[in-house]
Amino acid sequence: MVGSALACGGDATDQTALDSGNPPPKETAQPDTEAPLLPDSFGVSVTVTLDGIPVEKAVVIQGGSPDHWLSGADGTVAIEIDTTLGGDLWVHASHPDARISARQIRKNDGEPLVIALERFATQDNLAYTFQHPGTPDINENTSYCSHCHRSMVADWYKSPHRTSASNPVVQDVYAGTALALTTESECNAVDGNWWMGLNPGTTDSLAKCYTGNGALPAYNSDCGVNSSCDGVATNTGACANCHAPGIDGELGGRDLHEATGIAYDYGVHCDVCHKVESVDSTGEPGVGGKLNILRPPEPGSATFDWKPLTFGPYHDVANPRMGSVYRDHFLGAEFCQACHEYQSTLAPVGSAVDATRWPTGLPIQSTFSEWADGPYSPGAPCQSCHMPPDPEAGNTVDVQFDEVFWGLAAGWWRPAGSVRKHAWYGPRQPEERMLEMAAALSVESSVSGGELQVAVTVTNAGAGHAIPTGEAMRSLVLAVAAECEGTALMATGGDAIPDFGGALMQKSSNEDWTLWPGAAVGQVIRVGVSTGQWHDYPGVGAFAEMSPTEKGMPVTSVKGWSSITAVNGDQVTLDQPLPAGDFAILGEASWPQEGSPSQALSSSPGFAFARVMVAPDGSRHVHHSAAVDIASDNRIMPQASWTSHHQFQSPCESPTVRAVLVHRAYPLDLARERGWTLNDSVMVEVER
Amino acid sequence: MKRVPLLSLIAVACIQVNDEREETGQSLDTSEETGSETGTETGNTTPRPPWANPLEAADLDPAADVVHIELEAAPFVHTVNGVEIQGWAYNGQVPGPTIRVPKGAKLVVDLSNKLPDPTTIHWHGAHVPWSMDGVTWLQDAIAPGTSFRYEFELNQAAGTFWYHPHFDTARQVDLGLYGVLIIEDPAEPAVDFEAIAVLDSHGEFESENPEDMNHGLEGAFLDWTVNGLTDPILSLPKGKTGRLRIVNASNTGYTQLQWPLMRQIGSDQGLLSQLSTPEKIVLSPGDRADFEILVNENSALNLLPYSLNGGEAFGPTNRLASIEVSTGSEVASTLDWPFLSLDSSVDPGTTDILWTFTGDPRTGQWEMNGETFPDVSIPELELNQAAIIEIRNMSATEHPFHLHGHAFEILSMNGVAPAQAQFEDTINIPIRGTLRARLLATNPGDWMAHCHILTHAEGGMMTVLRIGATE
Repeated sequence: MVGSALACGGDATDQTALDSGNPPPKETAQPDTEAPLLPDSFGVSVTVTLDGIPVEKAVVIQGGSPDHWLSGADGTVAIEIDTTLGGDLWVHASHPDARISARQIRKNDGEPLVIALERFATQDNLAYTFQHPGTPDINENTSYCSHCHRSMVADWYKSPHRTSASNPVVQDVYAGTALALTTESECNAVDGNWWMGLNPGTTDSLAKCYTGNGALPAYNSDCGVNSSCDGVATNTGACANCHAPGIDGELGGRDLHEATGIAYDYGVHCDVCHKVESVDSTGEPGVGGKLNILRPPEPGSATFDWKPLTFGPYHDVANPRMGSVYRDHFLGAEFCQACHEYQSTLAPVGSAVDATRWPTGLPIQSTFSEWADGPYSPGAPCQSCHMPPDPEAGNTVDVQFDEVFWGLAAGWWRPAGSVRKHAWYGPRQPEERMLEMAAALSVESSVSGGELQVAVTVTNAGAGHAIPTGEAMRSLVLAVAAECEGTALMATGGDAIPDFGGALMQKSSNEDWTLWPGAAVGQVIRVGVSTGQWHDYPGVGAFAEMSPTEKGMPVTSVKGWSSITAVNGDQVTLDQPLPAGDFAILGEASWPQEGSPSQALSSSPGFAFARVMVAPDGSRHVHHSAAVDIASDNRIMPQASWTSHHQFQSPCESPTVRAVLVHRAYPLDLARERGWTLNDSVMVEVER
Repeated sequence: MKRVPLLSLIAVACIQVNDEREETGQSLDTSEETGSETGTETGNTTPRPPWANPLEAADLDPAADVVHIELEAAPFVHTVNGVEIQGWAYNGQVPGPTIRVPKGAKLVVDLSNKLPDPTTIHWHGAHVPWSMDGVTWLQDAIAPGTSFRYEFELNQAAGTFWYHPHFDTARQVDLGLYGVLIIEDPAEPAVDFEAIAVLDSHGEFESENPEDMNHGLEGAFLDWTVNGLTDPILSLPKGKTGRLRIVNASNTGYTQLQWPLMRQIGSDQGLLSQLSTPEKIVLSPGDRADFEILVNENSALNLLPYSLNGGEAFGPTNRLASIEVSTGSEVASTLDWPFLSLDSSVDPGTTDILWTFTGDPRTGQWEMNGETFPDVSIPELELNQAAIIEIRNMSATEHPFHLHGHAFEILSMNGVAPAQAQFEDTINIPIRGTLRARLLATNPGDWMAHCHILTHAEGGMMTVLRIGATE
């Protein structure tokens, strides 16, 4: 490791070496045994020039030190060198327009130090090719970030950022496919079209199952009817701006299908994020918009085509291999909002988003504004939870490993926790308990006159944004049940899980409730009542200001249910007669459990929370590419709560009440149509 | 921020370790050991100081059931690691005088404020009446040039507690205002000696700065002292059995202690349910622990790298102090400690109070339930109500949760229940950790509940729990 880490470094006393980007001589990072002993501290006068002219307000800092100074009007500042910090003594100069440079201190001779900075070119270089991030197993040289930044790459490798382009669900909702259906017969079973298209991540053709809804067929009128849109669509949305930001060449508005190689395999990777020179919160999402990418146009050396340029949150990184420039946007939420805040006026062909109702476009992603409007802003930015400290990392180059000498090459030891995990913890890393920490449940119950009254309160106790957040396909489903000594109680009223909790089929009161095509033994028929009222939930964004009717969530109550005991064709036999009601749904009966396949629970006692996007044909809880409106948004803002009420027949005085809140990544019907794995993730469960 | 040089001699008003306390007044420290040099961990050849307990406060009341103490808080110049500190102190010593009170006795403390600023004394871990708790929530601080009498009975489990200001707390504690409060129980066995270790690192008040190059990481550079001494030697005759009481009085610093002879007998609220022999133990700011020391061989009390910024950390292991066996040939024997021997209470699964910690050292803003003290919602409990408190730490650092005026029982940490009943008043909650605790709300008042990283508390990570009627 020592040799490999040293290969990253350089000798800044040799300005030619600094500027070339060449790997430095190995011996430069060795302790200088000939140098005289230095006192614990001594002063040095440092002058910083930018393109040969003394520059004011350049940050001057000793490598590894928490202290820093600013150059004066004459470019000069007196600094104090602390020789107790450990490692080589280098003084760095950092200016927003130049790569950080440094000079080594070998003796205390009172000689002033001059650090010459050069402006970097500000013209983005379309010929630049993004660097390979490497993986935990691909790290043999410095052409891979993983060669030096092992811990961070290992964290990132397990994160959803890596799979932002290669995730088959992303590809499916982009192209309108079901990649999990790999045969024509499987495709026909869901009424899909077995067409030729592009094999994601390659330029090869592949027969795929096209099931309809998707960004490309939605936004383009000349494809998706008789053949796929792959390669022929002209309106590709803004998907690739965030999902495949590392497609080389022109940035912004690229076809996600152009993502091959690194851009496909590694999605949101090191060299993309650390090429972000600035963030423009008013632009379009992602690269080419909010994220201003600067790829260096200056020629490099024989080793590198272009002179390295890397933006990051430290002033004391002068390793020429990095070409570092300080930027503080890596520390704040504004960086994240570049992709996690997004309104769109795009609508499926032949339809339009109602500009009166949604003047800035349909809110597709609003995680940033949910946080900004909530109590955790600004004290706890996104990084606070999703990039927690990594106290076991000595610095970003892992100087905790082996006997790497602290200096220009590998950097200096930083206080425990300085380095943040590049893991972006979220619901897809259950071991990190993010879902578990986000929500809380409380249950109040009482029995009177043989009826059990239950109130269940769901609180967003931990998340800094609404729950659920992000992609609007997500939902939370609350299931409530009661029993007396092991015997389940029948609900007699109260809040019901709405349609987006999953229904296999729904019928109105004037339809035949004995005929359920496709039903199976063990499934249930649930009867509900439409009360004609609307839930006045707190709401997110615009929905917080709407009237109950505008909030669009009808109050339905549970009437009862029966289990299917036999099936004869479409005719079902039930274990007990169905009560009268306004509608009946065919559903499933399993109690939600961690990791178990999600079930159709609509109209059972409980509730659900989601941003319900609506398609032009009225279909609800659709992917945003199919949407023109939002019917309701009852997701729970930080520290907010929602209480649902339920009634059960109770033959005992002390029934047991159970409530469980689960997180679902996709709508049940869409997941089953596309063959996506959809399991419940239990956030919290209470029994009382 | 300038790092303080390590391993310099200091001169702080302390006394030698007492043998069997006042009965004999004999020091167990041997003079020939005081010239020892620091270990090879540091390579430093500065002579190591002998261990010295803080001076004890004089009891001015001859009655057996009353302890009357006079404390004067005043500016005081002392040195830490060879650096002169323009500090503050109680009775001209840092740590302040150790106050020793029999269980059930009344403690009377006359505090004279000779400081330029208002101050108070909070009796950390003691179940005092709310009006005596030293907080300035709905109460006034003691103005400069005035006095206040603290007077209360200490009817609670014996153990190791401490006292410190609860006004401008981070600054006043860092300047040197803190001392140890010991509640003694005659039912506990007599020991051959008692050693007190108040752990602290000076200059922490100045260390939190989100604008510095460490992005506001508190506790980044800490030079630990024991009773103001750096790496002291506790010299003891072989075969003796003693009690070590440790208090972490640091503003921000966590200590992960490793000691080959570790026999933990007590925690915040007195004796444990049973003897614990962990390989290492984390004491967060405000935490205490008691140990039985069997003096059979030399041993070092080491500090393993641990950070409030995430726990187990990369870094050097440093020696905090060492025990050196000086004379004797006996083998020390264990004592018959009256451990609680209680099973943990069963978690009913319900939650009466839920607090979530949020914040980030890069912003320096710290909150509970998204609220910044004093603009907080106040949950209320009825007097003698048994309540379940759940605390979730969603912030970017660990936090030692402290509740005033009460003990609480740990039901679980991250779903793991303790093997036996565990009572605390200060408990560390790791990042993404969830604490569930049972509180018997026996003490009426508006009790502060907060993180005991003092900069976090003063940054807003503090709230109020109202129990019964406020006096």
